[in-house]
Amino acid sequence: MSRIIPLIAIAAVGLCVALVIVVVSVMTGFLDMVQSAGKTLMGDVIITYGVSGIPHYESLVEKLEEDPSVLAATPIVDGWGLLRMPYPDSAAKQSETVQVWGIDPESFTQVTGYNNTLQWKTPSKQQLDWLLFDAFIENASAILQTMSDEKQQLLIDTVDSAGSTMNYQFTDLWSAMEEQLSEEQWKIINAYDERLQNPENVFTQGLSLSRNGKAGIVSGLHVSDGNERQQDGSYAVIRNDHWWMPRYEGTLTMLPIASGGGLIEPESVIMPFTNEFQSGVFLIDSSRIFVPIKTAQQLLHLDKAELVDKDDPTIIVGIDPARATSVLVRGAEGVTAQELQQISIKVYDEFRESLRGITNVMPPSRGETSLSIHTWKEQQKSFTGPVEKERELMRTLFSIIYLVVAALILSIFWAIVFEKTRDIGILRSLGASRAGIIWIFLRYGGIIGILGSLLGLLLGWLITKNINEIHAAMGSPPISIAIGAFIISVASLWVVFIRGRRGEILPIVVGLLSAITFGGIGGLVVFVRSQGGIVIWDASVYYFSVIPNNIDWPSASFTLVGAVLFCLLGAVIPAAKAADTDPVKALRHE
Amino acid sequence: MSNTPLLQGIDLRKTYHLGKTEVPVLHGASLEIQRGDWITVLGSSGSGKSTLLHLLGGLDRPDKNSGEVLFQGESVWDKTNKEINEYRNSDIGFVFQFYHLLPELNVFENVLLPAMIGGRKTNNDEARKRAVSLLTHFGIDHRMFHRPRELSGGERQRAAIARALINTPKVLLADEPTGNLDETTGNEILNVLQKLHQDGLTIVMVTHEQQIADRGNVVIQLRNGVV
Repeated sequence: MSRIIPLIAIAAVGLCVALVIVVVSVMTGFLDMVQSAGKTLMGDVIITYGVSGIPHYESLVEKLEEDPSVLAATPIVDGWGLLRMPYPDSAAKQSETVQVWGIDPESFTQVTGYNNTLQWKTPSKQQLDWLLFDAFIENASAILQTMSDEKQQLLIDTVDSAGSTMNYQFTDLWSAMEEQLSEEQWKIINAYDERLQNPENVFTQGLSLSRNGKAGIVSGLHVSDGNERQQDGSYAVIRNDHWWMPRYEGTLTMLPIASGGGLIEPESVIMPFTNEFQSGVFLIDSSRIFVPIKTAQQLLHLDKAELVDKDDPTIIVGIDPARATSVLVRGAEGVTAQELQQISIKVYDEFRESLRGITNVMPPSRGETSLSIHTWKEQQKSFTGPVEKERELMRTLFSIIYLVVAALILSIFWAIVFEKTRDIGILRSLGASRAGIIWIFLRYGGIIGILGSLLGLLLGWLITKNINEIHAAMGSPPISIAIGAFIISVASLWVVFIRGRRGEILPIVVGLLSAITFGGIGGLVVFVRSQGGIVIWDASVYYFSVIPNNIDWPSASFTLVGAVLFCLLGAVIPAAKAADTDPVKALRHE
Repeated sequence: MSNTPLLQGIDLRKTYHLGKTEVPVLHGASLEIQRGDWITVLGSSGSGKSTLLHLLGGLDRPDKNSGEVLFQGESVWDKTNKEINEYRNSDIGFVFQFYHLLPELNVFENVLLPAMIGGRKTNNDEARKRAVSLLTHFGIDHRMFHRPRELSGGERQRAAIARALINTPKVLLADEPTGNLDETTGNEILNVLQKLHQDGLTIVMVTHEQQIADRGNVVIQLRNGVV
């Protein structure tokens, strides 16, 4: 028997197994990422009361935090809004529909780890140059007043020339201005922007959602068109940080809804961008912005208001308290989401009871349908449900591969049994039993299955672990691959030429196929490079900016066992045929 | 007991079916083999001598209700499948014209094969020792770890004989053992068989050559399927 057949069988089984492992692992990783991102982004339990919000939510948060099972709780005011983007190139100005979350940054950080999602920790030198540039332009007259004409001209020239080149190269405006400005003049500029005094203020401003004392926005990294993902997964701002959001202000417009349900005049507010965040979930990063909870309450008319008499608006009859649409709860270490959900329900009931008789604006009772107290899993269901279904579908579809494995082994073994008929006859004539013959083939099939599975596992593991690198390499395939492929291609042609002269057909066919294949690979690499790379994993389609790269071990082991079983299944029919070989006929078989 | 032949074929008939045509090969052949016999069956090609050997060796079944093979007085075909396998494995040693060694195994492994197949009863170390001593006895111990294709025809046939003897069978069935060898080598093989016979082994050999048949102590002529 030629030794190459079992090797081909092992390789084929290995490829099948690797394929399933990679696909299911990526899908599972994807699902895990969705779920864990959801968990990080919204805490363990979410208490929500739709559009009109929960009044006296501060008391609810307080009561929740008194419970030892609760690590932290934080109120949220969420609604939809329009954000007019401040893109610096005038033609590009546009509005984005955004999901606005009004948050209390301090407690929000405790519940969601918000601080870890902030994108800009300290600005780069280039970004600082832009801030300095902005500060100078804003304060030009004040600064120039204090200078001699000569120096003025020099400074204007410096800033001018920097301004015209900064959007494509680093000019080190900072050093240039440091030379020309006196301490006094620096002070004027510094006073304009806290971040010039201490660059780390970019981060603290993001944390506190305020810039120079003004309530600010932290937007998702993909809300702005200015942030471009690099091949290594990091982000860069286009046009040499020209479009860096924290330089600008945006106009946020929200639609408040009256307690009666009708629309009230939209409210707008101009707010500075303080930082950007990246949760890793594209859907969120592309549509969510954070603003201080007070701002959101004001824009949505959920802030504290005086209740006035119907007939005489000058008579104040009471207070309509501020409201939060949701309260997010994070459990203490070791408390499951389900346990926390029960505790939250209990605390909510206590909270509502405690208000009875004290206020005339009662929070909704738990019987109301739009009040929900969900675990993060339930809250995510609408999103994770389809993904889970998709994974099951993939699993089912890819189970067909088992049939491929079985058919493969069946055909190979059928051929082997035919080829080995005489040897089987010899074994039978030497007294080998039918069971013994079956056992030989089953064992052989099992070994191919096991080796193939292990090979597939190794291959699947390598691919899955390096899937982001592979994807990046596809984006810009190394030219060495093309060179290697072309060399193999030429070598194949050489073999065709040398061996072909002897009139053998097989080397010609194999050589030509190899030459075409490797030539094609080389050509493809060159083509892809000329096109600037291909991107298969588009973050905007798959929600995540990186491809999950963890092996789903339960599925993988299931796949391995399945592959071995189907190898045995494929081997059993040829094995039975072999066992029934008539020794006399087989011995005549040549 | 001493009167019972070691191996006995009674009125053996065998018909082959080639599509719809029936080709009768044996028409009631009977023979008796006593312990220590070297019986040679002489017949032209197509006379059914190989078939006779296959029937005796339990490789093939006579036609229904047409004769019996008795080994030590017991009908071979009344045995269970398991017993037939054991019969082929340990009671009979088969030597074929075309050696029928397994190409993937080396000579030593080929010789050991029947012992491994009958594994349950055979002590492995003992079998290995016996394999080595048989190969040494037949002068091919230096070829032990070669593949069959690296051996000459005579060496292959010696290896095949060693394989047939590994389980110390009661009868050696040889189907034209020299048919594929030149005269000198063929004679060497016949000398080997003669030596075995002198040492007490019972041998049944089929051939189409009178000269070779004459080496046995009983010569049976097989013509048109009858003895």
